[in-house]
Amino acid sequence: MGDIVVLVKPSLNPDMTRSKPDGTVDLDAIPLKLDDIDANALEAAKELKNTLGGKIIALLLLPWGPIQKRTRELKMVTQEALARGADEAYIVSDEKLLPGDPIITATVLSNAIKKYAPSASLVLVAEASIDQTTGQIAGRVAAKLGLPFISYARKITIDGNKIVAERDVEDHIEVMEASLPAVVSVTQEINEPRPPTLLQIRRAGKKPQKTLSAADVEPIPERKKEPVEYKILTVSRKQVIIEGDTLEEIAEKLIEALEKEGVL
Amino acid sequence: MVDALIVASGVQEVKESLSAVSSLGDVEVLFYGKDSDKADEVAKLGVKVYVLKSQHPGALFNAVKKLYDEKQPKVIVGYGTKNNRDALSRLAGTYDLPMATDVIGVEFKDDHIIYKRGFLSERAIATEKIPYPAIILINAKVFEPVQREGSGNTEEISVEEDSVKLLEIKPKQLSGINLEDAEIIVGVGRGFKKKEDLELAFKLAELLGGQVGASRPIAADYKWLPEDAWIGISGKRVAPKLYIAVGISGAPQHMAGVNNSKIIVAINKDKSAPIFKLADYGVVADLYQFLPVLIKKLEEKKGK
Ligand SMILES: Cc1cc2nc3c(=O)[nH]c(=O)nc-3n(C[C@H](O)[C@H](O)[C@H](O)COP(=O)(O)OP(=O)(O)OC[C@H]3O[C@@H](n4cnc5c(N)ncnc54)[C@H](O)[C@@H]3O)c2cc1C
Repeated sequence: MGDIVVLVKPSLNPDMTRSKPDGTVDLDAIPLKLDDIDANALEAAKELKNTLGGKIIALLLLPWGPIQKRTRELKMVTQEALARGADEAYIVSDEKLLPGDPIITATVLSNAIKKYAPSASLVLVAEASIDQTTGQIAGRVAAKLGLPFISYARKITIDGNKIVAERDVEDHIEVMEASLPAVVSVTQEINEPRPPTLLQIRRAGKKPQKTLSAADVEPIPERKKEPVEYKILTVSRKQVIIEGDTLEEIAEKLIEALEKEGVL
Repeated sequence: MVDALIVASGVQEVKESLSAVSSLGDVEVLFYGKDSDKADEVAKLGVKVYVLKSQHPGALFNAVKKLYDEKQPKVIVGYGTKNNRDALSRLAGTYDLPMATDVIGVEFKDDHIIYKRGFLSERAIATEKIPYPAIILINAKVFEPVQREGSGNTEEISVEEDSVKLLEIKPKQLSGINLEDAEIIVGVGRGFKKKEDLELAFKLAELLGGQVGASRPIAADYKWLPEDAWIGISGKRVAPKLYIAVGISGAPQHMAGVNNSKIIVAINKDKSAPIFKLADYGVVADLYQFLPVLIKKLEEKKGK
């Protein structure tokens, strides 16, 4: 019997990447969104909630500033996490924690779990995020909490005090068993997240949420990563749309173009 | 004390990792997993090799931790495989070590490391700076593998597994096709409605002398193709001279795997699909109508 903590990341949306005139990334202009695979983690939590008998706690940390500008976006991500099944949310947001550094993020999240979700029996984390894609937070948190860790779960079942997960490795699947509490990272294949219904969205506004500052989640380790430069990768593709009156004509023109390129 | 510890499960991985840390001094290797019988081959690169026969991620973590505690390496390096990420993120969490992943360039300075890696699902390149000691996970095929001969010795390392039990290993059905070597690839996405329809893509690929690859959902989720057809940031990175994306929207995580193609063609029925901005030639059409026509035209040409 226990709660499920789902780590939810408000990530920079790569589909809305913006650049400055000098070709560097305009970080402040890129909006945040609830990270893709976090939706899978929330869906997995919903499926496991009845078995575990506790509630779902979404735990968020704001990794990107400027803080004033992010308030609305952070609120929207929190609302979405609640609409997607979380029963309550804790949001860590503090100038001192910006920009996110995995060492700080993992420590803060672990501290928050210990303090605000001491009876959690499962911590679910996405395999990776869409902005950084480093996939290191789950393992760090497991180590900090001293809990068993299963990574890249494509399937989870819970039986009493045990969790069994199918772990995806590149060329095979490993069936792993751990005792609860445990930290598990989930892959995109674990489920197909259902978009929240209007009713779920409306109810989300009434669910409890609490904003935490750095002082609530101390001690905070020293920052080790320093940004030097973020440069846009310019794709210089020709972007020619082949047009014609019939599909035959289009096919012929395409073949001709590819022959000219010397790639057929 | 050593300068660098390579954590790897393949010989090529060791060669490329050695290349990445070539500016550092003393290097040792932890070689693990089901290919660990190739440890002698690794030792011939002139490095000391610790061999861990297990592929249990908890055993790997314990082995890495043991060597880290004993040797205090300044740098730990290897590919960003799932087992490496699993074990090394735990080591990173244990000692608050910085960990860079998907690294495509690295410089080891006197008192810090500067590296480059993909950012924003590889829409951008990040350059960042971290202090020693640190974990650096490199992308495959970025660093020129070292060619050298020497004689190192091998030593088996035995550690406990952790409390997580490995109950069963289920093999995946793999095609064995080396997409990385293909000159032409037809990539299939969720525009295909059912597995049987992929026949159209196979026919096209066959006519062009190419191979069929896929977006992640087609290979990993629907399992319509073996998982070694999975192309992208978390799958294979390919560089054919021609990549034809059929029914693929052009998500950055997919495009990260094909951006090094010489020419990209997109066939998609939605004219606002992002892939058209990331392709050289685009055809706005229903694949079910267009592919048969394209196939017919190519057959006619071949017949001539
Ligand atoms: C951390 C992370 C890692 C990921 N790693 C990868 C990865 O390595 N590789 C990868 O591929 N994805 C990866 N993804 C998933 C990625 O974000 C996309 O969800 C995925 O690539 C979409 O696949 P798709 O283009 O086949 O499907 P969709 O995005 O659903 O696109 C289908 C396209 O088909 C078109 N279409 C539909 N019907 C037709 C028709 N009849 N004729 C022509 N066109 C049609 C549609 O217009 C649409 O554009 C990752 C995601 C995350 C978060």
